[in-house]
Amino acid sequence: MFSLFMGFYRYLFQKHQFQVLIVGLDYAGKTSVLEQIKTIFCGMEPLPPGKITPTIGLNIGKVSIDGANLVFWDVGGARSLRSLWERYYGEAHGLLFVIDAADTARLEEAREVLRQLLNNAELAGIPLLVFANKQDAAGALTPHEVQARFGLHHAEGSSQPQHVLGTTAIRGEGIDEGVRWLAETLRTSPRALALQTG
Amino acid sequence: MGAVFSKLFAALIGNREVRVLILGLDNAGKTTILYKLQMGEVVTTVPTIGFNVETVQYKNLRFQVWDLGGQTSIRPYWRCYYQNTNAVIYVVDSADHDRMGISKQELMAMLEEEELKDAALIVFANKQDLPNALSCEQIADRLGLASLKSRQWAIFKTSAVKGDGLFEGLDWLCAALREAKN
Repeated sequence: MFSLFMGFYRYLFQKHQFQVLIVGLDYAGKTSVLEQIKTIFCGMEPLPPGKITPTIGLNIGKVSIDGANLVFWDVGGARSLRSLWERYYGEAHGLLFVIDAADTARLEEAREVLRQLLNNAELAGIPLLVFANKQDAAGALTPHEVQARFGLHHAEGSSQPQHVLGTTAIRGEGIDEGVRWLAETLRTSPRALALQTG
Repeated sequence: MGAVFSKLFAALIGNREVRVLILGLDNAGKTTILYKLQMGEVVTTVPTIGFNVETVQYKNLRFQVWDLGGQTSIRPYWRCYYQNTNAVIYVVDSADHDRMGISKQELMAMLEEEELKDAALIVFANKQDLPNALSCEQIADRLGLASLKSRQWAIFKTSAVKGDGLFEGLDWLCAALREAKN
């Protein structure tokens, strides 16, 4: 009886933890996004500019928002490292895809990488947040253009929530809104619920 | 020690005590790294149970080094050194293809220690100056690093004899060891 009560108590009051995998091509700005998340939500000292180097490994950021704990996994985006991503799919509740919106030469590559992610059965139904990053750079595609070019047309009632936002990670623009969308969406995500109870 | 690193360390870490273990199989290049960092005099002590521990203290930063592997009888004593460890620098001889499997076993066994569950991990893929050295990606794969999900980790190419890559690694370490203010 006691354990039943404890279980119920935990269900009601324990903070849910959601894991969010940050992916995208190398130099899209994934680690800069994570750094801004840490600065905005954890009050962490920002890294000096130029101290963010290409990631070969895993950076982690833990954030608490409105009663939900979000753990961000930032993995390296270089082509040779992308095979490591799939090790995280099974435990990811949310996906944050970062695009260098000004690097038109690599848009096709980014589109193909995103297409493969969305076709992966292990990521079925995963809430997807897309950052069209580097909005400060000349010639950057707007979030609407990214949405069109990447074929991100979210149908009403689709099982995969999607949201595309323009960001300038190095200035922290757009990050807060995106993270709050994730927190809100994960709370009601059937995939997240299934992973947590399963 | 690199002046730039010193500044970054002071800015991000402040006066907190930071303990770093430099571990790996014998002959990986750990002691060479310790000397290359030039942070102070390397003191070698041999605890009574019989394994060498080298120590360097630089301001509020303490590095301790010993060889993993070998004699199982002394292993329980390693635990004495795990307490309050903030980071582990794991050094791998990138050209030692044959012992990559043992290196993985030793690493994973060590990371299961309760005392090390919050420690960040840097892997130095050392001896990159040798012609048959494996790449960072190959070593990450052979060591199974992608199975680590609740620990920050990074791998860097290094050549301890030339001094390459060491400070890049320590910069990452400083960033990883920052603490949230609230």
